[in-house]
Amino acid sequence: MSTESSLGGLAAAARYYQDYGLRARGLKGQGKKVIGYLCALTPVEIITAAGLVPFRIKGDVNEPITRADTQMETIVCPLVRSCFDLSLKGKYEFLDGLVIPHACDSIVRTYDVWKYSLGLGYNHFINMPHSDDDSSLEFFEAELATFRKSLGGFAGKEISDEALARAVELCNQNRARVRELYELRKSAPPLISGAEITRVLTAAMSIPVEESLELLSSVIEEVKKREGAPAGGVTRIMVVGAQVDDMAFIKLVEDSGASVVADDLCPGGREHWSDVDVTSAPLGGIAERYLRKINCGRTYREMGGTYAEYLEHRFGHIGRAIKDFKADGVILYIYKYCDPFGFEVPQVKGYIESLGTPVLYLEDEYSMSTIGRMRTRIQAFLELIG
Amino acid sequence: MAEEKKPEQRKKRRTATEAASKVAPMVKAMIGNVLQAKEEGKPIASTFICCCYDEIIHAMDIVPHWVENYAGICGAKRDAQRFLEKAEAGNLSRSLCTYALCGLGFDALREELGEMPPEPPWGGQVKPTVMLGSGQILCDPRNKWFQAAQHYMPDVPVCNVGLTWPLYEDDYDYHEVEGYYIKYFVEQLRGLVEFLEKYTGHKMDWDRLSELVDLTDRTWNLVWEAYELRRAVPTPMGTGDAMNTMVPMVFMMGTQEAYDFFKDLYDELKQKVADKEGVIPDEKYRLIWGGGLPSWFALGDFNYFNSKGAVFPVETTYRMIEATYNYDMDLSKISDPLEHIAWRWLKYWTYWYDKARKRPGSQPEVERLIQYIEDYKIDGIVMHEAFSCRTWHVGLIWQLNQLKKIYKDIPSLILESDIVDISSYNEADTRARIDAFIDVLEAAKRKGK
Repeated sequence: MSTESSLGGLAAAARYYQDYGLRARGLKGQGKKVIGYLCALTPVEIITAAGLVPFRIKGDVNEPITRADTQMETIVCPLVRSCFDLSLKGKYEFLDGLVIPHACDSIVRTYDVWKYSLGLGYNHFINMPHSDDDSSLEFFEAELATFRKSLGGFAGKEISDEALARAVELCNQNRARVRELYELRKSAPPLISGAEITRVLTAAMSIPVEESLELLSSVIEEVKKREGAPAGGVTRIMVVGAQVDDMAFIKLVEDSGASVVADDLCPGGREHWSDVDVTSAPLGGIAERYLRKINCGRTYREMGGTYAEYLEHRFGHIGRAIKDFKADGVILYIYKYCDPFGFEVPQVKGYIESLGTPVLYLEDEYSMSTIGRMRTRIQAFLELIG
Repeated sequence: MAEEKKPEQRKKRRTATEAASKVAPMVKAMIGNVLQAKEEGKPIASTFICCCYDEIIHAMDIVPHWVENYAGICGAKRDAQRFLEKAEAGNLSRSLCTYALCGLGFDALREELGEMPPEPPWGGQVKPTVMLGSGQILCDPRNKWFQAAQHYMPDVPVCNVGLTWPLYEDDYDYHEVEGYYIKYFVEQLRGLVEFLEKYTGHKMDWDRLSELVDLTDRTWNLVWEAYELRRAVPTPMGTGDAMNTMVPMVFMMGTQEAYDFFKDLYDELKQKVADKEGVIPDEKYRLIWGGGLPSWFALGDFNYFNSKGAVFPVETTYRMIEATYNYDMDLSKISDPLEHIAWRWLKYWTYWYDKARKRPGSQPEVERLIQYIEDYKIDGIVMHEAFSCRTWHVGLIWQLNQLKKIYKDIPSLILESDIVDISSYNEADTRARIDAFIDVLEAAKRKGK
C-alpha cells in the first residue's frame, strides 16, 4: 500500500499528479518492474496480468522541450515530443520497459528513437491495424498473442488466461468507476470540475489498476459528500481532442467562466466508455475492445449505410455525450501535427453543428506559451454562446 | 472561391538521361487518361503510391488516379497555394500533409464550383468512382485523406485496405510472425477485389492478374539492375533524374509501359557507363539522398549541387523495389497471385532486417544507408525534412546520429522545407546551406587525404 492511500482521494490524486511517477518509483524501489507505455491503445490488461506495473508516460506543458530536439524532429506531435523530452531528462528513470502501440505516425515513426535513446531492457511495438473488419480483428488478436508471449518472457512467467481474466475484470471495474465519477458531472452545477477530473484520471494512469480502483472509489465518495460545487461558470462545455494529460487547458476553459462537464479525450471519456467482454478466451475480448470499441480517429471505422449514418457511427458518442451532459458548446482541441484528429475537424465540426451545438476549433502546441492566445479565443466563444 | 493566381513560369530542369526527360509527357498522358476515362464513364480509383495493389487495379481494367502525384504536379508547377488555402479555410490545419491538403482543397473547390477550378494543372483532378486507402504502417494520411474527402464527396465509397508489416524488433524474430501477416495481407487484398467488383461492376480477370504479377516482378528486377549501374564512377544518373524515373516505378507498376521504360533506361545507363559519361564531367563529391521527399517546386537544387561538383548516385527515397531474386524465398513458387503480391511486399518491407541484426546498434534504415554508402562510394549524406510529412521525415536526425555511432562520421546536411508548400522554401538560404555543406565535404576530403 502506498502512503498516499491514507489521504483522501482528491488529495492523493493531487499528490500523484504533482509528482507524476511517485507511486511507480516507489514500486520500483520494492522490486517491481515498471512498463512505460504511450497512448490509451496499449492493453494494460496484458501488462497487469504479467504482474508488471503499467505506467502511462505523460508530457508537461510547463517544461520547455530542449533535449528531445537533438534526436527527434520538431514536426512530431508536440505531446509526443514532450513525453520523449521528459524521458530523456530522467523523469521516468524508473522504467524497465516500453510498449508503444500503432497509434499514429508521431508514435510509430519515433519508435526506434525511443527504443535506442532510452536503452531500456524491454521494448515492444504492438501493430494495431487501421481497419476494424473481421480479418483486421483476427490479425490484431494474433498480434496481441505475440505481445503476450514476448512480455511473458520478460516477466519470467507465462501469462495465463486466468491472469488475463482477472486483469480484464479489474480494468472493467476501473472503467465502470470512471463512468460513475462522470455521472457526478451531470448535475448543474457539476459536483466535480473538469480540471479535477483531468487530475484524477491522469493520476490514475500512473498507478497500478487495483490502486486506481481504490483511488477512484475514494474520490467518488468524497465528491458525493460535497455540499457546494467547485468554482466554474454556468456555461457547460465539452472538450474533444486527443490526449490531454495536463490540467492547464481544462483549467483555462474553466477560469474563463465555463464548466467542463464532458469530454472525448484521453485520459477521459474515450477510453472509459467501453469494457472488454468477458469471454473464455480473454485475448479476443481485449482485441475487440481496443480495435473496435475505442472510438479514436486513428482507427478507420468501416462505412455502412448512408453518409449521415456513417458520421453517426463515427461521432454519435459525442452527440450522445452533449445530450447526456447537457453541454452548451464544444471545444475541438487539436494539437498541431496531429494527422488522425486534424483530418477529422471539418467532419466532426460539421456533425456537432448539425446537432445545433456551437463549436470552437482550436489548434495548439502543448505548451503554456500559447495560453494567452487560447484564452482570448475561449472567452470570445463563451461570450458568443453564453 | 479562392483567388486565382497565375503559376510562376519556371525553366525546365536539366536532366542527365534521356529517359528522365520522357517522364513529364508520360505523367501528362497519365493525367489525360484519367480525364478521358471520366468522360467515357470508366471506373476511376483514387489511390496512393506504394499501395501494393497496382496489379489488381490494372487487371480489373480500372483507371488509377494517383492523388500524391497530382499534388506533386501542383507543387512542381508552383500552383498549389490556392488549393492549400482552400483546405485551410475549411478548417484543415496547415501542419497536416500538404499532399492531402492540396488534394482536398482541389476537391473542395471543384465540388463547390461544380466544375474544374480555373486553369487546373494539366487538366485537373476528377471526382473518382471509388477511393482506395491504405491502412499500412506507413502514413496516417493514407488512412485519413479519403475519409476526409468524403466531406466533399459523400457519395464516393472508400475501401481502406490494411496491408501492414512487422516493425524491426529485438524481442522476437519477424519470421515468427510472417504467417499471420501474410494471411491478413491476402484477406485484405481479397476484400479489395470484392469491393471493386461491387462498386465498379468490373470483374477480376485472375489470369490477367497472374500475368501482371509476373510482369511486376520482372519490372522490379529491371529497375534494380538499372539503378545498380549508377554505382559507376562517374555516375550516369543522379537523384534529380530519379525523382522523375520514380513515376513509372510507383505510378505505372504492373504495365508494359513501365517495363519498357526501365528497359530503355537500363540500356541508356549501360551505354553511358561504357562511355564513362557522367552526370557532370568532373565529379568531386558523391552524395546519397538519404531520406525525405523532395521539394517538388525546387528540383533545380539538384542542378545546383551538380554545379558545385556534387552528384547523387543513389537515394533511399522512391527506391521502392528490391531485386526479388535476392529474397530469401522463391516467389515464382507461389501460384496464388494475391499471396504472391503479399510476399513480395512483406519481403520488401523487411528486406534489411536480417542485415541490421548482424550489426549491434543498427536498424534497417541505418543498415541500408551503410550499404549504399559503401556500394556507391559515398562522401556525404543529404536529407530533407518536409514539415508537413511525418511519414518519411521523422527519424532522420536519429538515423544520422546512429550512423555516426556505429559506422563512421560522415558529412551530412538536413535541408528543411516542404513537399508542396512553397511558402516554406527560401532559395537563397537553401543554397547558402548547400554551399556551406560543400565546404565541409571539401574539408573532409582534404582531411581524408
